[in-house]
Amino acid sequence: MANTISFCSETMKQYEWLLTRYPTRRAALLPTLRLAESDFGELGVPEMRYVADLMEIPPAFVFGVVTFYTHYRRAGTGKFHIQVCSTLSCALRGSEDVVSRITERLGIKPGETTPCGHFTLSKVECLGSCDTAPMLQCNDDYHEDLSLEDVDQLIEQLRTEAEGGQNG
Amino acid sequence: MADQQTNDDTVAMTRWQLNGQEVESPTGMTIMEAAKEHGIEIPCFCYHPGLSIAGNCRICMVESNRSRKPVISCSEKIAEGLEIETESELAVSSRNSVMEFQLINHPLDCPVCDKAGECTLQDHSYKHGPDRSRFVEDKNIRHTKELGPSISIWGNRCIVCTRCIRFCDEISGTSELCIVERGDRSVVDVFPEIPIDNQLAGNTVDICPVGALISHDFKYEARVWNMDRKDSVCGGCSRGCNVEVETLDGFVKRLMPRENLEVNDWWMCDEGRYGWRHLYADDRLSQATRDGAALADVSATAALEQLLCESGPVAFLIDPYLTCEEMHLVQGLAASRPGSSVGGWLPEDGNAANFPSGFTISAAKYPNRAGAELIFGDQVFGDDAKELQKSLVSSDFTTVVAFCGGHLSSGPGESWAKSLSSTPTSIIFSVKNGPWLEGASLVLPATAPIEKDGTWINEDGRLQRTRSCWSPGTEPFSVELVRLQTLQNALGIRGRSLSAAGIFRELAATHDSFAGHNHSDLGSPGLLLSQRPAGIAMDGGSE
Repeated sequence: MANTISFCSETMKQYEWLLTRYPTRRAALLPTLRLAESDFGELGVPEMRYVADLMEIPPAFVFGVVTFYTHYRRAGTGKFHIQVCSTLSCALRGSEDVVSRITERLGIKPGETTPCGHFTLSKVECLGSCDTAPMLQCNDDYHEDLSLEDVDQLIEQLRTEAEGGQNG
Repeated sequence: MADQQTNDDTVAMTRWQLNGQEVESPTGMTIMEAAKEHGIEIPCFCYHPGLSIAGNCRICMVESNRSRKPVISCSEKIAEGLEIETESELAVSSRNSVMEFQLINHPLDCPVCDKAGECTLQDHSYKHGPDRSRFVEDKNIRHTKELGPSISIWGNRCIVCTRCIRFCDEISGTSELCIVERGDRSVVDVFPEIPIDNQLAGNTVDICPVGALISHDFKYEARVWNMDRKDSVCGGCSRGCNVEVETLDGFVKRLMPRENLEVNDWWMCDEGRYGWRHLYADDRLSQATRDGAALADVSATAALEQLLCESGPVAFLIDPYLTCEEMHLVQGLAASRPGSSVGGWLPEDGNAANFPSGFTISAAKYPNRAGAELIFGDQVFGDDAKELQKSLVSSDFTTVVAFCGGHLSSGPGESWAKSLSSTPTSIIFSVKNGPWLEGASLVLPATAPIEKDGTWINEDGRLQRTRSCWSPGTEPFSVELVRLQTLQNALGIRGRSLSAAGIFRELAATHDSFAGHNHSDLGSPGLLLSQRPAGIAMDGGSE
């Protein structure tokens, strides 16, 4: 299976720099996947295969690593990936209600993506922001100290952004 | 291990305590290995002697005086003054708790699981597991799918021990398998569109401690406790991997590798493993024929006697599938017909393979070339064979006895087939139908390698005992070992028929290369022909 994708020259430069920072090539896999994610937009089969071939490690190993973590954008993830923290502090402060509200508003359960492809909802483990529980991460941004009204507002805002992006 | 050896070549020993008893074990051993040597078997799932230590299943926890928490005995090494308890309250409760965790998501599908009866989880559950589950939540559902052409995974049964993954990384070196997802959703999988399809893949099913990896070849074929087992040797190549042949009602159902650290470790290749299907192929021969007409088995032996009694010098064409015992009988026949000559045919070489672990598959796809060369001389497949073919072509012999074994081989080539059919009386022992039977006077069904009882010598010169997968009641025809002896009796060169062990004793008494060996001393790893068992009388051994 020949790869039709490859890193752009800027990313390749970053990758080569990364290799100098780790004792073994394999150890640089996590940040390399980050690079791939930002360069290709998501980590689907061709992207994982590309990284495996580039780093000369078995594709199955890359597959195992990508699926182990919740924070990589796998193929089919919506434009906005909403990850609701559901570990202890957030759970005590009502993360279940946050999830239910999102489910109600978007019509998707955790692990699902809306048919329009705009939203993916996940329940994830601790995102390290216990002092501002309950919280969620949408793509790279944290939204903290959430009330249900905040959730409604956020979804409206994202929806506008998604549809605006689509029309424009 | 090198670090166990001191300069004077004695093994350094460590004193430690096992369940209150002072014991000594070789330095550097793990607690699990050392305890096993002292008769205490600590349960394990992820540990396998042929693989690296993962230490992830935790069932092997024992109590140690060096740690407040229990330690895993598969990776912890013994040390001077170490005190280990395997049956203390802490050890037992740790084991039981691990077992309860292993079982919370495991389905209760033993009645339909092919692993049932030889399942480590089942065994440990019986001994260490709770008799009921406290788990009231929903069980996790994980994928059931094909991982490759010969293997599927039943994800719900997987306990994520990673044995199969380590096998593909370390032994076959192909790394097709991985664990996907995390926590209680983790399960074995392959990269999309890269199936597990290597020459050793079948071993992953053997080492799976549960029924998660299932071989398509054996799926729903038999319950393991109903099968009979014979310790045999694979005849697929000159490596001679030790195997266990499992049969149900006389039919082979499965071949499993048998541990032999001198030959095949714990593994075997898929070519050998699945080759048994050819025993029951359409071209398999079980009916004797004389000039094309079917013969009953006893009449076939009688016809053989008659043809040989009437004959002058005989040309014998042997194959490298015959056991040393069968070859000895052929040699006896050749010696009784003055002017006879012996040559052999070899099938074409197949693919050889070497794996990172040192496991090898030989290109020579037959089990006993070395034996033939010892018994008939090292030119039996070389100059002698050329000579024999020449004399057959020029019709120097009126009778030829040929052996065409090897159910996986394509048989003797065209030129041999031509020389056989041009000889007036051709008697052919054949495992299957083929062009070499064209115009044969007498066709006798022959045994395939795993149906033979006797010994072979592998490419390293290791003499190994193989046992027939047939039991006396299921033999569909007289095996060569019996038929050739009956013939020798009729020709007056033998007084009584013997077992394979008895024939081997005759061989050892007449051939210097075999002197001092006998069946009962071979043991399961076999012996290099050069390592003679010490102090064994030549007529020792059993029949």
